[in-house]
Amino acid sequence: MDFLVLLIATGLVAGATYGLIAIGFALIYKATGVVNFAQGELVMLTAYIGYSLAGAFGLTFIPLLLVAVPISMAVGLVLERIFIRPMLGEPPFAIVMVTVGLAVILRGLIIVVWGSQPANFDAGIPTTVIRLGNVPFYPAQLIMIAALGLVVLAMWAFMRFSRYGIAMRAVAANETAALLTGVSVSRIHALAWVLSSGIAAIAGMLFAANFKLAPDLWFQGLKSFPAVILGGMDSIVGAAVGGIAIGLIESLSQGYIGEGMREIAGFIVIILVLMVRPYGLFGSRDIERV
Amino acid sequence: MKTIASAVLGMLVAGPALAADPGVTDTTIKIGDVNIMTGPAAFVGRGFSVGSKVAAEEVNAAGGVNGRKIVVITEDDGYVPARSFQALTKLLEVDQIFALNGTSGTANVLAMMPLITEHKLPTVVSQAPAPVVYTPVRPTVFTFGATYENAFYAQLKYIHEKMAKPDAVYGLVRQDDDFGKDIEAGFDRAVKDFNLKAPVRIRFKKGTTNFSAEVAQMKQAGVTVLANGGIFAGAANILSEARKLDMPLIPAEVWSEGIPASAALLAPAGYDYLVGDYVSLNGPANEKFRELAKKYVSEDELKNISRYTYASYIGMKALIEAMRQCGKDLTRACTVEKLRGLKGLDTGGLSAPVDFTNDKQLSGTAVGVYQYDIKSATFKPLTGFVQY
Repeated sequence: MDFLVLLIATGLVAGATYGLIAIGFALIYKATGVVNFAQGELVMLTAYIGYSLAGAFGLTFIPLLLVAVPISMAVGLVLERIFIRPMLGEPPFAIVMVTVGLAVILRGLIIVVWGSQPANFDAGIPTTVIRLGNVPFYPAQLIMIAALGLVVLAMWAFMRFSRYGIAMRAVAANETAALLTGVSVSRIHALAWVLSSGIAAIAGMLFAANFKLAPDLWFQGLKSFPAVILGGMDSIVGAAVGGIAIGLIESLSQGYIGEGMREIAGFIVIILVLMVRPYGLFGSRDIERV
Repeated sequence: MKTIASAVLGMLVAGPALAADPGVTDTTIKIGDVNIMTGPAAFVGRGFSVGSKVAAEEVNAAGGVNGRKIVVITEDDGYVPARSFQALTKLLEVDQIFALNGTSGTANVLAMMPLITEHKLPTVVSQAPAPVVYTPVRPTVFTFGATYENAFYAQLKYIHEKMAKPDAVYGLVRQDDDFGKDIEAGFDRAVKDFNLKAPVRIRFKKGTTNFSAEVAQMKQAGVTVLANGGIFAGAANILSEARKLDMPLIPAEVWSEGIPASAALLAPAGYDYLVGDYVSLNGPANEKFRELAKKYVSEDELKNISRYTYASYIGMKALIEAMRQCGKDLTRACTVEKLRGLKGLDTGGLSAPVDFTNDKQLSGTAVGVYQYDIKSATFKPLTGFVQY
């Protein structure tokens, strides 16, 4: 029983990571109709920015978030302006290829700027083990789970109540109609990148605080992609649920079935789900673009 | 006419030495180094290049090899085997190197092997001494270093005999590739030889970062001695999870965890882990080397010194000694012959003496066991270099 609870706990932590990263994918897809293949690199870049800020100013976690997230949002805006904005109106496939190129550039840039050695990321979070019942957690792991919940809540409130959130939903529903009603589609695209970068920063810094900072952190983007497929490409809640589901499936299959199952169990579930609901658990039915 | 004759004479004097192979002039010998200078594993290549440089500068300061200065030319392969082949092609065709010391990873040296064989290039492999490098034996390739099998066997033997309780439970976590298989071979040998209780062996994909489920399995099995086949951040994450689960572990690690950068990653978990290595990690020999290095490399380069530096230094010293024994008429064939006869080359305590006089052209197989002391952030030698 203890073993099962432990596996569920570890699955939740892994799933929260996937979920947070997957929300970044979903946000950009929802607003722009394009899969951002540089999302993992965005997570890595913002984590490294946080690492530099933490090292330079000795910030504890909350002040670090307050500084790093806005800076990461600004970075997201700059990247959108330089790489994505000029592609406005081009076929989605071309834009996807630009994000692939951006991913390669960011990977190289990070090694040039920060070097290739893995590092301990002191995000100002204590490392004393906390026990919830019999289950041990590092504080950063609990924060990861809490962050997923808070981000989902915040994004739901943003989409439901804010002017820009409603505009983003309008663009997602029908870009041309939104444009005709006066919504600035380009501004909404930029906003999606800004928000996605902010969430990427939270995910990246917490991941690095839990699992070290290394220039292969971008790979978590690829690992999180199944979560967004499972949840639905344009669903923020779906991305979070998909992430948790993949994390739990991975952990339980590794624990009970054994070697090699961690990697394939999640994909088996995705295939089964997509056979029944091709648009994912929470996705819109009319997804067409790449 | 006089000018032309003088020019021709001058070219003859300054050009390649008569009857010599590529890479040798009357004043220089070019040695190639294909290494990982960019990408996530670049610190391996940077550490390695320091060793080659120190050995070259040391001999150059003493007048060179029979009057010829060593020139080291490094090419980056980014740890990509296809790029290793391209890099060596460039070194052979453009730079015209004489020999090779610096061969990147196992897959990389295998990718370069056809070129090494075709050009009969004297090559010392001290960075990835895997059995596939010397099985079958290539006539011009000399390997320096132990196997991961022996490195883990040495550690587990020491743990069994000196550290572990009689009821200790041994576990293995390793990558699902040849590197991992080699570690498992050492684990299996130790389990068999010492009749160890070893109920759990776990494989993982290269690049895995979250090992929480794997470590939970270890905890469930009651593991108290862990053969940890993770490397760098992976190894650290495994120990970090073990600490979270309050596991009283004695961890045995891959020798990549014997470099300062890795030790810094593993230290927060709080385990005084063990490492088996064929080069010395700490002691008078290392201090002496550092003093020597200070003469020839920059402050930044000094920071890159690691176990890979010592391996590279030893490889270059072996090449230098073989070339020295050839005298003025330096050829690749002669260098290979002298390498084949090299015996008892003292490395100043950085490893067991170099001895290639065996069928496999293999040396440096003796392993020392070290323990990392978190408080002093140093490696403490537990054994000398021993054959296993």
